[in-house]
Amino acid sequence: MRPISRAVLRPYVCPTCRHGITAGRRRFGSKSDSPELFDVVCVGGGPAGLGLLAALRASPITSKLKVALIESQDLRKAKAWDLEPNQFSNRVSSLTPSTVSFLRSIGAYDQLDVNRVQEYQDMQVWDGQTGSRISFDWSMETSPFEEMRTVATMTENANLVRALLRRIADSGDENLSLFTNSTVASIENGSDLKPEGPDLSAWPVVTVKPTGPATETETPKRIAARLLVGADGINSPVRSFADIPTQGWDYGRHGIVASLALAEPATQPFPASKRTAYQRFLPALGGPIALLPLPNNHATLVWSTTPENAAYLKSLPTPAFLAMVNAAFRLDMTDLTYMMGMQSSSSSSSDSTHSHQDELTWRVQHTQLPSQIPPPATAVQTGTVASFPLRFRHAAQYVSPRIALVGDAAHVIHPLAGQGLNLGLADVASLSKTIQYAVSHGMDVGDLLTLERYSSERYLPNAKIGGACDLLHKMYNVPGEGPITWARSLGLGVVDRLPFVKSFLMKNAEGY
Amino acid sequence: MASLRPRTLPLSVRALRSNLRSPRPSPNYLFSAPASTPSTQTHPTRAHSTSSVSADELSHFSGLASSWWDPMGPSRILHLMNPLRHEFIASCLAEGSPSPNPTSSAATLNYLDVGCGGGIFAESLARTIPLDPTSPAPTPTLAASMTAIDPSTDLIQMAREHARMDPTVDTHLRTGRFKYLNTTLEDVLAGNAGAPTSASTPTNSGSTSTQLTPPQYDIVTLFEVLEHIDPKTSTPLSFLTNCLRALKPGGWLIGSTISRTLPSFILNQVIAEAPWPIGVVPRGTHEWSKFVNPDEVKGWLQEGLMRAADTGVSRGGGAIAEGMRWKCVGAIYIPGIGWKMVPGSEDWGNYFWACTETLAKCT
Repeated sequence: MRPISRAVLRPYVCPTCRHGITAGRRRFGSKSDSPELFDVVCVGGGPAGLGLLAALRASPITSKLKVALIESQDLRKAKAWDLEPNQFSNRVSSLTPSTVSFLRSIGAYDQLDVNRVQEYQDMQVWDGQTGSRISFDWSMETSPFEEMRTVATMTENANLVRALLRRIADSGDENLSLFTNSTVASIENGSDLKPEGPDLSAWPVVTVKPTGPATETETPKRIAARLLVGADGINSPVRSFADIPTQGWDYGRHGIVASLALAEPATQPFPASKRTAYQRFLPALGGPIALLPLPNNHATLVWSTTPENAAYLKSLPTPAFLAMVNAAFRLDMTDLTYMMGMQSSSSSSSDSTHSHQDELTWRVQHTQLPSQIPPPATAVQTGTVASFPLRFRHAAQYVSPRIALVGDAAHVIHPLAGQGLNLGLADVASLSKTIQYAVSHGMDVGDLLTLERYSSERYLPNAKIGGACDLLHKMYNVPGEGPITWARSLGLGVVDRLPFVKSFLMKNAEGY
Repeated sequence: MASLRPRTLPLSVRALRSNLRSPRPSPNYLFSAPASTPSTQTHPTRAHSTSSVSADELSHFSGLASSWWDPMGPSRILHLMNPLRHEFIASCLAEGSPSPNPTSSAATLNYLDVGCGGGIFAESLARTIPLDPTSPAPTPTLAASMTAIDPSTDLIQMAREHARMDPTVDTHLRTGRFKYLNTTLEDVLAGNAGAPTSASTPTNSGSTSTQLTPPQYDIVTLFEVLEHIDPKTSTPLSFLTNCLRALKPGGWLIGSTISRTLPSFILNQVIAEAPWPIGVVPRGTHEWSKFVNPDEVKGWLQEGLMRAADTGVSRGGGAIAEGMRWKCVGAIYIPGIGWKMVPGSEDWGNYFWACTETLAKCT
């Protein structure tokens, strides 16, 4: 819990503003004008922050609350986002069925461009070391005559953000302030406006500063929050202000993403609408590679590997990169390790572009291919190959008086199960429900008695999923043959053969 | 495992009770200042009524005042119960609303919270009063105003200070839609509730009749108060009768308390007050013998309704008692889950009760 007195002494000031704001100016500011009051102020306009706002605006109980959102990016651009039908952003997330039903319940799912969204009904996961395999689908729960149930729905984050912005815009602009292109210059505790005003000494007061060229002319705005929500990512300023520590570590791995076009599948799926996601663990290369379906035979790549491998892959020319991706789903660990060290562009550029492809073609002939592999990737969309560091973080608490953390501000997990965004939106669903309960029972939405309902609902599930992903990461980073390799393939085989265990795991992972 | 009121709470209630010592109010206690605080304790006319408050309890009480609003403090279990009070009131109003237009969602109801203590319930209800009186009420409790009274100066002072921390509630305090009064129920009935309640206030030497100021409130609430009245020195009957006198016709008197049964003895005295980590309330919070059973409350209310009506209304008492609508539901605290309404669990311990007079045939 944030000790109020300590936070007064050490207000959060963002690093770039620390220099500009003097103590004198701050004192002057707090005395002369009282801040504008809001019920909920959300810092961060990503899927979690916008999701919270959309949920609050959608419920008749909370739609009258005065809410604000502060986002450093241009939300107007995000709302006008548009791409060619066969172009896909490289920031793609998989939505579990419970996330989808939350988005439906707040009226945001209908605002998604459905032509850019791809459901999949089957997920093939196998161990590149031992070949043991598990297939995730709902066939053990449904009859063969039913339509196959969706395992997850792929959507570009930009599509989701645009849908949420549209949903918020539909709710009108009464009691709503969107501070776009704005950053949090500082957060401090308010003051007692005695005798003519209320005592705001325990209310966080955010100074909002516009970014860009307007900075000099526009005066920073001060807003006080009954509840300040940190949806502001891994380096959350709100969390720093609340003095909430985080535990965690860096995985020493990078995730490579790219938007790919795939060849026509050799055999048409049955039923025709069935789509499959593929994930292969590559213990020798530091993590799994996953290919998740997008519309029109496109797919998004997420490859977790060491920073050295990531740098190597990013440096490859496109044909070589594609060859590596295809090799990663087909070849043995030894072959892959060899190909990962092959000389590329530096020696002879004309030769090297073909060498990876040739190497793959030759080595595939001598490899026993698994039964289910994705169709070969044929093209990489220009400019979509990128990487990001993989980290694990968990905040010690999600709440403090008048403070709540959601999404990455509260927890960052390994992406191997594609759960990060789902956990963030589950936080938002829980927090918005908590706020509804508080409003309908006369509770103060920023009071700890309100917020503890949220944190007690979310802390354990998030820790459970985050821990499971961490365990999987560690188990599948043991190369070669050995007790752990043996145990994990036994485990995978057992789970695959015991429908009720698999069903239990899937329900846990997908928030049913 | 139920039950509430931290041990020092009885102090404020005892002060209240001390004002209800005899069934027939006498001017002596009716119109004098509230007792139980060090400042008024020395007043000669109050000496007799403060004698039951020991110095030990007073010092303990000061300690509680500061922790009253601490969500992790000794009053935590009371805070957790508060949302259920709103739900229970909403369920009463769903059965019969004293509002002139029962189907509208306009905020029209005036509340009186007797024995508000630090204001846990009063403040939460005040928060639901719309800032714009013409806009619809945000909750089914439909509050238009809240008057909260407690005879303890310290608790009222602390309640006011806490209310200032919420700008909405602070605004209601300034406009008068929300009032904390350091006064007694009898003063409210006599119509001088708004007057300053210092010891030097001249008392109204006139009659004790309530006819001068007609009943004003749509809802009178009495949460966790009854079980702290000592049946030996005070009567719940006269107290409840006065509560009924403050009601508008068709209004609800709503409260919560604890029943005096074997399960409640085990839950409240043995388990709830057990040492940490089993117990959830401080030892000595409750005296089991003071607990009241639902049928006792119901009996007092029937009697009280007849007495309250005995001020010139023409109809007979028996008809009034028959016209009483009685509502009662148990509540159980389950550690790790929280408070739950469990119909039929009234005898286990905590329960909510409510009554209203249905204005049927014989008016």
